[in-house]
Amino acid sequence: MTPERPPPSRRVRAVSETTPSDLAYTEQHEWIRDDGDVVTVGITHFAQDQLGDVVFVDLPDPGATLEQEQVFGEVESTKSVSDLYSPVAGEIVERNEALDEQPELVNTDPYGRGWLVTLRPSDRSQLDGLLDADGYDAFVTG
Amino acid sequence: MTVDRGTETGDEAAVDDLRRTALTDHHEQAGAKLGPFAGWAMPIRFAGTLDEHAAVRDHAGVFDVSHLGTVFVEGPDATAVVAATFTNDPARIDDGGAQYTLCCDERGGIVDDLIVYRLASDRWLAVPNAANTAAVVRALELATPDRDATVHDRSGEYAVLAVQGPVSLDLVDATLATLDAGTGLANGTSSFGVVPVDSAAGSGWLARTGYTGERGVEMVVENAAALPLWAGLVENGVTPCGLGARDTLRLEAGLPLHGNELSVRTSPYAARLGWAVKLDREPFRGSSALAAIKDRGPEQRLWGIQVEGRRPARAEMLVRSSGATVGYITSGTVSPTLGRPIALAYLDDPLGPGDRVEVDIRGRPTAGEVVKPPFLRRDG
Repeated sequence: MTPERPPPSRRVRAVSETTPSDLAYTEQHEWIRDDGDVVTVGITHFAQDQLGDVVFVDLPDPGATLEQEQVFGEVESTKSVSDLYSPVAGEIVERNEALDEQPELVNTDPYGRGWLVTLRPSDRSQLDGLLDADGYDAFVTG
Repeated sequence: MTVDRGTETGDEAAVDDLRRTALTDHHEQAGAKLGPFAGWAMPIRFAGTLDEHAAVRDHAGVFDVSHLGTVFVEGPDATAVVAATFTNDPARIDDGGAQYTLCCDERGGIVDDLIVYRLASDRWLAVPNAANTAAVVRALELATPDRDATVHDRSGEYAVLAVQGPVSLDLVDATLATLDAGTGLANGTSSFGVVPVDSAAGSGWLARTGYTGERGVEMVVENAAALPLWAGLVENGVTPCGLGARDTLRLEAGLPLHGNELSVRTSPYAARLGWAVKLDREPFRGSSALAAIKDRGPEQRLWGIQVEGRRPARAEMLVRSSGATVGYITSGTVSPTLGRPIALAYLDDPLGPGDRVEVDIRGRPTAGEVVKPPFLRRDG
């Protein structure tokens, strides 16, 4: 089969309704919530919708250190696999172990119980370079 | 993560160029996610691949597979044309019968795998894969010059609906009854049988064939009949399914997909489809090459691999044994029914069921066991 690729004309559907304004975003379709000492990272509603049913999520163990934009894991759907890119440099604090048994949480609750990892940024100034909700919407809708 | 979005403006025109089935507008209105498939805009999923997959295993689902070709061979010598073009023996079936067969080239490579339906002694319907329809038509036409038969590609005129699942026959019959298109046709037709269907909206055929491992039917109907049939089935509780679920279902059933498991570079014997090649009859396209391949035996064979852990192997990943490369994955996913990874792979002779191998999943060697498909046995 050819890779899943939706017709662009139907691609854009009210993204803003599904892009919480209190989060930061990357062009790799991750969202980042700044919890103070650590940040929580997940993938966006748009990303999970493009992927389809998620059947496996591969995440690093706590203690792993990441460079910004380093591949830190992958999300497998029924059809394909996608790499996850670290939005900022830092150290993994927690991985969402619930996803080991319920990877579908990434689909059903991408901004809540479908979170991926928390990490402690080594350079918090990198957070300033992320997209806000409007910027991400503009990026996605092209 | 990276998302294949197709943001380039040129894609808009490219998508507009895709062929649309009689149901594409309806699918869009139903919120289906469409994708390009062999030049057609096809529904990849409706509610979601896993839900659709479960519906087919537990109840019934309907697929729009109108991208499949509908090619008619007609005339007194129609059976001879089919016999000269494909590998299986059409003399083994009667009017109202269907047969899985292969279209091979002169070197014995697989141009396509398909089902042929004997509608009458002088009328056959071949249903090739969308991407290979033109090649199958050309192959059939090579056999017509000395014979009294003609080949008609009517792929644009017919819709193909597959209705599959344990209760599919009852729901098809209930739907056909509401369309005044006959009673008990699905339940009254045996496996690999085909019967005519006529409704006010259009006519066609119902066949007890499929590609999911479940019991079910495939219906080839005139385009005008497609929407009433689709809508009636859905109203009767049949779940709309996309090509995503069709792929996970056929993989659990161990059924090969041309383009993944089958190609002109693979022989029927390597694909373990030798049962669909009948050499004890008049010569046909590729028969002498196939006889030679059969005599010396294929160098690789298609088997299943059950990979350990939860990460699925994917197409093109390498398979190793004792450090040496011994094959490659052709398809792989997490089996929605079994909840663990399954894959098909070509493996060097004499590897086979029970052997231990390693799959290189993006640099991580992952242990697996060679098994004989299907991964899931159903009562059909």
